[in-house]
Amino acid sequence: MKDFLEMRNIVKRFPGVVANNRVNLTIRAGEIHALLGENGAGKSTLMQILYGFHSMDSGEIRMDGKQIRLDSPKDAIALGIGMVHQEFMLVRPFTVVENTVLGMREGRGPLLDLEQASRKLQELSNRHGLALDPAARVGSLPIGVQQRVEILKLLYRDASLLILDEPTAVLTPQEKDQLFAILRKLKQDGRSVVIVTHKLKEIMECADRVTVMRDGQVVATREVRETSEHELTRLMVGRDVNLRAIKPERKPGAAVLQVKDLRVEDESGREKVCGLSLEVHAGEILGVAGVDGNGQSELAEALLHLRRIEGGQVIVNGADVTSRSVAEHRAGGISYVPADRRRVGSVPEMSVADNAILGQQRKYVRGLFRDLDEARKSAEKLTARFGIRGSGIDQGAGKLSGGNLQKLILGREILRGSAVLVVEQPTRGLDVGAVESVWQELIRARQEGKAILLISAELDELLNLADRIAVMFEGRIMGIVDAVAASVEVIGLMMAGIRPAGAANTGATMKEAPSGETV
Amino acid sequence: MNGPSFVLSAFVVTWLTASLRLAGPVLLAALGETFAEQSGVLNVGIEGTMLLGALASFLVSFYSGMIWASLIAAVLAGIAANLFLAWMYVTIRANQVVSGLVFNVFAVGVASTVYRKAMGDSALPESIAMFQPLHIPGLTRIPILGPVLFGQTILFYATLLLACIAYFILFKTNLGLALRASGENPAAAASAGISVARMRYLGTLISGAGAGMAGGYLVLAQVGLFRESIVSGQGFIALGIVIFGRWNPLKAAVAAMVFGACDALQLSLQIFGSHVPSQLLLALPYIVTILAISGLFGGKAVQPAALMVPYDRE
Ligand SMILES: Nc1ncnc2c1ncn2[C@@H]1O[C@H](COP(=O)(O)OP(=O)(O)OP(=O)(O)O)[C@@H](O)[C@H]1O
Ligand SMILES: [Mg+2]
Repeated sequence: MKDFLEMRNIVKRFPGVVANNRVNLTIRAGEIHALLGENGAGKSTLMQILYGFHSMDSGEIRMDGKQIRLDSPKDAIALGIGMVHQEFMLVRPFTVVENTVLGMREGRGPLLDLEQASRKLQELSNRHGLALDPAARVGSLPIGVQQRVEILKLLYRDASLLILDEPTAVLTPQEKDQLFAILRKLKQDGRSVVIVTHKLKEIMECADRVTVMRDGQVVATREVRETSEHELTRLMVGRDVNLRAIKPERKPGAAVLQVKDLRVEDESGREKVCGLSLEVHAGEILGVAGVDGNGQSELAEALLHLRRIEGGQVIVNGADVTSRSVAEHRAGGISYVPADRRRVGSVPEMSVADNAILGQQRKYVRGLFRDLDEARKSAEKLTARFGIRGSGIDQGAGKLSGGNLQKLILGREILRGSAVLVVEQPTRGLDVGAVESVWQELIRARQEGKAILLISAELDELLNLADRIAVMFEGRIMGIVDAVAASVEVIGLMMAGIRPAGAANTGATMKEAPSGETV
Repeated sequence: MNGPSFVLSAFVVTWLTASLRLAGPVLLAALGETFAEQSGVLNVGIEGTMLLGALASFLVSFYSGMIWASLIAAVLAGIAANLFLAWMYVTIRANQVVSGLVFNVFAVGVASTVYRKAMGDSALPESIAMFQPLHIPGLTRIPILGPVLFGQTILFYATLLLACIAYFILFKTNLGLALRASGENPAAAASAGISVARMRYLGTLISGAGAGMAGGYLVLAQVGLFRESIVSGQGFIALGIVIFGRWNPLKAAVAAMVFGACDALQLSLQIFGSHVPSQLLLALPYIVTILAISGLFGGKAVQPAALMVPYDRE
């Protein structure tokens, strides 16, 4: 196979960090090339240089042997390079088809021809089995579907090199399989794909070659069939990581968080949580499994009073907190790690130090003024304990890599010392080393006697961490199973809305009767 | 016709005719501003731009007597002034509101100095040739609606046409889509290969053209002379009309008419001798504009998400 694209000696500095330090990367025609590396290793930066988003400080890029200039994404697009960014690049009030044709010169001169574009889009989505309504408003679509839009955008542009920055982080297992099938098909067409991912399994499953980055440098490039997950981990983090949580036995204490017959609606007034009841005990992790969009986020938001509760009760430590304000409520002992780190979990424009005390700023005052020394000290402690890597606590939080930002938010919420911790997709987009440390922190919080509600789309994570797993489907709990006795098949079926025959009295022990109509 | 009903219909005709007449300039300025805001730039400088446009059209008309050339001069002056503003907003990434406001103060200084230099200090206000109402034969004779709708100057009809064109460009062309994307999510626009800076320059320059022409409109179709106070806040009213019109040129047209109607009502009531204190009447159009912006009517206004947010790729 011949080299299609070559990046040579790429150097990129940001204030305080060298994000790419003399990086070399070659991509062959018709290959799927994985890019692996810890959070903050410089993968996104490298890909953004290749897409013309960032300018490089030095280095050169060649395509088919000829040197190319990439001053803006426009240049990249013209050369057939397309990218799905880690943070999606979609205009939320626009429709799917408007997002697709954005920036293209198509149709009849300067006029928008959305009908023809819709037809072409529909045809593409049929061909690749990516169901999509071209007229839907992007902002109202679930995140998994938004990604579909991003991929269709590239297919629509007929890109010959597709860059996907952590595309599977938001996908269900089925969607992921579908994506890989598409990627293989594209490869057969002779197109090249670069896929950035933290999931070693996925690399082994779909990539031809893999390049490992660490601290802004390339450590190695390997043929996938000549390497192993083991070796890749070692190359990436410099040690062995065994992703297996060791969870000490612990007798759960009293019920700390009780939810009774909870009803929550989404923006458009559709009921997303339909009479859901559950209990989380002190020193227990209750996992919530389910395909994205089955009401998990709405459940979490309602628990935190970020969304109106239409009916039912939320009880924390025996006190009814259903109708308190968010601030009172949080002071009353609930911490939250939201799935959306950048928009809900942090204020990206503010510094790491300020984000580290967000929500507790009132603790760091001297008279009328902020006590900056104390705040900075506690931020330093937090970054040290959770291993947050960046250029220091004065850096804008938005400039942290996804993984480091997540550790910052998780750390802040754990250190708040509340009795209840609601955690949503805590390891989405994290490297194995970071996943390991997040898991350890969650188990530590459990040992400290916190009641933890862990919402995750990763079954592995739930099976490793949770004491019990509740499976949500269309706003209801299909069943609650003991994590030790649970089988992936049973949970998978329930996630799809099928109650396994006699689930209640098979291996999956039902510890607690699910609410009313689901029994 | 008996007395009272004649007075009433005369009142209504005067009022409505004046409504449309007064709506014209603010609508023109609002149309341009809609482009700026849709691209992500809040151009407060349209107030000063209107003044410069008014001055340019007055001087050209005074020296050349060519009415269309004067109008074009107003547009060009607006574009030239906004080239500077665009540079501040987009290239320097200065605070948009502050730069716009400072520019407005600056524009007043420039306008009065230039006017005095050109006309001499003591000269009485000079008047110039103006656009005259068209009075389309036949149609004007329709009772009430005739004189109201068909007794406007050509500038008014041109403005309505421009509103339709603006709507079409913003919502039916590739360019409009790219411009709106730049104001909604500049990173996404850039990622789609659009130059956000270029879109924002374009939006700002269009708002300059609109505001400049609005200034010319004031001089050439309403006042017939130049004074420093000729704009007196109409640029700011246009900002309100953009919001009231929900960043849509056609709705802005309606909003401008509502504003015009209030302004004209205030004038007509004074002419027809009402007992309401004139200060209160003078404030009427502004009160209505504030109420309209507040979102108490017609739902909450959702502005372009990246309005006033400078964009930097790195
Ligand atoms: N715009 C920016 N300004 C300043 N520093 C930045 C910027 N973007 C990234 N960085 C820094 O550059 C380094 C590399 O970041 P990058 O986003 O490329 O990492 P990554 O490998 O994609 O990580 P992750 O797996 O978490 O997405 C990090 O230290 C990050 O903090
Ligand atoms: Mg990244």
